[in-house]
Amino acid sequence: MSLVAAAAPAGPRAAGFARRIGVRLATLLAVAFAWEGLVLLLGIRPFYLPRLSAVLAAILATPGAYASGFLRTLTETLIGFVAGGAFGVAVAVAFLRLRTLREMVFPLFVVSQTIPVIAFGALVVLWFGNTLMAKAVIAFYLTFFPVTVNALIGLEAVDPRQIALMRSFGASPRQILLRLQLPSALPQTFVALRLAASLSLVGAIVGEWFGDTTGLGVLLLQAMYTENVVAIWAALLVSAFLGTGFYAAVAFVERRLVFWGAEQ
Amino acid sequence: MLKRRHLLAALAAVMLAGPAAAAEPVKASLRLKWLPQAQFAGFYVAAQKGYYQAEGIDLTINPGGPNLLAENLVATGADTFGLSGGSDSLLAARDKGLPVVCIGVSHQVTPFVFVTRKDGPVKTLHDFKGRTVTTWFTGANHVLNAILAKEGIKPDEVKIQPQQVSVTPFVDGAVDVATATYYNELYAIQSRMGKDQLRTFVAEDYGVTFPRDTLIVSQTTLKEKPDLVKGFLRASIRGWRDAFADPKGAVDTVMAIAPTLDRAHQEFMLAEVKRLMTAGPAKEKGLFAIDPAALAKVHDLLLQAKVIGKPVDLTSAFDSRPLDALSSADRQL
Amino acid sequence: MTAQTSRAVQRGILGALLLIGLWEGIARGLSLPAYILPAMSDVLLGVWSKRTMLGEAAAYTLAEALLGYVLGALAGIGLAVALTLLPQIRGFVVTAVTAVNSVPVVAYSPLILLWCGIGLASKVVMVALAVSFTLFLSTLAGLDRVDRRSIDLMRSFGAGRLALLWRLRLPTALPLILAGLRVSTVRSIIVAIVTEMLGAYGGLGWVIYQAVLQIDFVQVWSAIVVASAASLLFFGLVGLAERRLLFWKAS
Repeated sequence: MSLVAAAAPAGPRAAGFARRIGVRLATLLAVAFAWEGLVLLLGIRPFYLPRLSAVLAAILATPGAYASGFLRTLTETLIGFVAGGAFGVAVAVAFLRLRTLREMVFPLFVVSQTIPVIAFGALVVLWFGNTLMAKAVIAFYLTFFPVTVNALIGLEAVDPRQIALMRSFGASPRQILLRLQLPSALPQTFVALRLAASLSLVGAIVGEWFGDTTGLGVLLLQAMYTENVVAIWAALLVSAFLGTGFYAAVAFVERRLVFWGAEQ
Repeated sequence: MLKRRHLLAALAAVMLAGPAAAAEPVKASLRLKWLPQAQFAGFYVAAQKGYYQAEGIDLTINPGGPNLLAENLVATGADTFGLSGGSDSLLAARDKGLPVVCIGVSHQVTPFVFVTRKDGPVKTLHDFKGRTVTTWFTGANHVLNAILAKEGIKPDEVKIQPQQVSVTPFVDGAVDVATATYYNELYAIQSRMGKDQLRTFVAEDYGVTFPRDTLIVSQTTLKEKPDLVKGFLRASIRGWRDAFADPKGAVDTVMAIAPTLDRAHQEFMLAEVKRLMTAGPAKEKGLFAIDPAALAKVHDLLLQAKVIGKPVDLTSAFDSRPLDALSSADRQL
Repeated sequence: MTAQTSRAVQRGILGALLLIGLWEGIARGLSLPAYILPAMSDVLLGVWSKRTMLGEAAAYTLAEALLGYVLGALAGIGLAVALTLLPQIRGFVVTAVTAVNSVPVVAYSPLILLWCGIGLASKVVMVALAVSFTLFLSTLAGLDRVDRRSIDLMRSFGAGRLALLWRLRLPTALPLILAGLRVSTVRSIIVAIVTEMLGAYGGLGWVIYQAVLQIDFVQVWSAIVVASAASLLFFGLVGLAERRLLFWKAS
């Protein structure tokens, strides 16, 4: 399979793509049927697990609320993800160049990641208000660190002989960075970016817990505290849809950009 | 239609509040203690009907959330007004030196009860001994301790545990007694177990009252913008009056903001909230009335429980002057 | 090596001291009230005066985090390795795992609290969920990173799947697995704390939640300082183990 794909990119690759989509759809359908069937067969009480059909009906009853929540959370996630990814890579490059900065700041970054933002709801509102930006900032905060860690590993893994070779041809540090180091670090960076895709969504959702009216986080919280299990699942499903879609998009870009190395 | 209403509102504003209101509306915000639901219907109705506009206030209603404290946000100036936890959280805030003042009390009686199954072993408060009782450690625990103390029961004779979000442990019988607000958990428990399956213990029956849902404002706003505070109270009371007169319409207003809520629950909630808001001193003095005697009792209870480290001056913590300045027509239901 | 390490430690300490100084300066200089930003000295005093209570809470949270961390790491690495041996079901499993894990872990908290109660179990499950995904992704990426020519070469010598895994894939994947393990340390403690805030009998998240409600900001910050210290310790230990392992591999 992999050999064929590598040898003849166009045709079989498209077929492979179609097959992957097929597998995914089949998986989803199987899970959906298993869900509905098991709940019915085992007579699971709806307070633990409601039927899928009941959950879907709840979404269809107020589609506007879920749609606007989806869009709002998506926007926050995207802003946080893009900003976090860019900042993460930039910091990794800075750390690579400036060892002193790295030694002084890296531990502080680690510390910053140990702080649960949820404890500072009031501070977040105070500093960033009740804006969309406040949520994006939290998404950013959760996103950038894994990207920095992985990008740095990737950057450092570049063979020094290759760098020496490029230098001997008169390449500037900028050229070395753009042509050699960053491309070599891409596979590692994308591993973190895929993780960051779900982390930025976490940030957006938790951010919406600081007093907001729209968003999937609001819907989750609302459902959790009114103990409306069907609504919890409805919000979960929409989050899953958003999360899977976003993750798939990042993975798609990864496949386009990182076509070497992987043996899959 | 809409235009005419705005025009009327503007006219009324000019006539009622004089030239001040004719100027540019003042921007202000109200921080709720939780997400939009019928518990706050009156404020949403007032905003939707333009009552705040009529008072010259451009009001934004900000929902609350877990770990978000209205006292904190009002003290820092992030929000102008707040509907905060209750007399307990306000006194704790004053004790910690936060410059916030209560200008009205929403729930005149304790908004929660202790509930047990009717066919279970707990018949009286004395049966709490040795049983698992869950409660919120956010104020309700002090009420529980206080009523137990009134009956001569020591807290360590009862297995008191933090209550989780879900009422499932109680419904499943893992917990003997649970705490429930009239408008939320009690609804969930009743709809899962049946109303006649339950026995409730009401704090008032043991001489304890715990007023909650306090309207707060910062000391600075109260001092510098008394008209804003008065206008806010007047418009809010108007909104609540309308919400009680037309509960279906009020639930519509709330559900336009939070469409995924359960309508039946929201209507139940509004009915219960009406009962809590119009009980006790509100009967004669109107909505948001501040009852110094009840608050003094809460104060002593919290002092005893060491929630507040030192006595708090109640007259500066609870200021009924803005409310008293309203005409009695503005205050009555 | 040692000189370099000690220099790095010195710089790290210098960075931390600069930050603490800046914090103290801002809080004292602008005489900020505690509900905006308490002075660092007050926070450290708060940690000291409540050390028993905070220590017990930290032990509780660490126990939850560690248990979830180990379970999650085993599950994540195990699943990724299993998929390399059984490539037939890879498409199915990756799809299912991605779908389950694309939902933010916090979104599961209502359900997990409902299913497992507010005791230890719910936190362990939440932490394991969070950690397993990170490690599944890292391990899978690491196992895939192998140069195809090396595989072909080893295959031509008659190496089976297991041999390929043990000799080639796992050693190649090790740096990424270890990076995943390191990143997950901090996540595990945060997830435990966030879940505790939504409902618990104890732990640092519970302390923070209580302190927020009682408007005790010094206590909020004290608990967070302790949480950070615990996370750093965990992070440092795993980092140390990582360096040992990689060093061993290189030699």
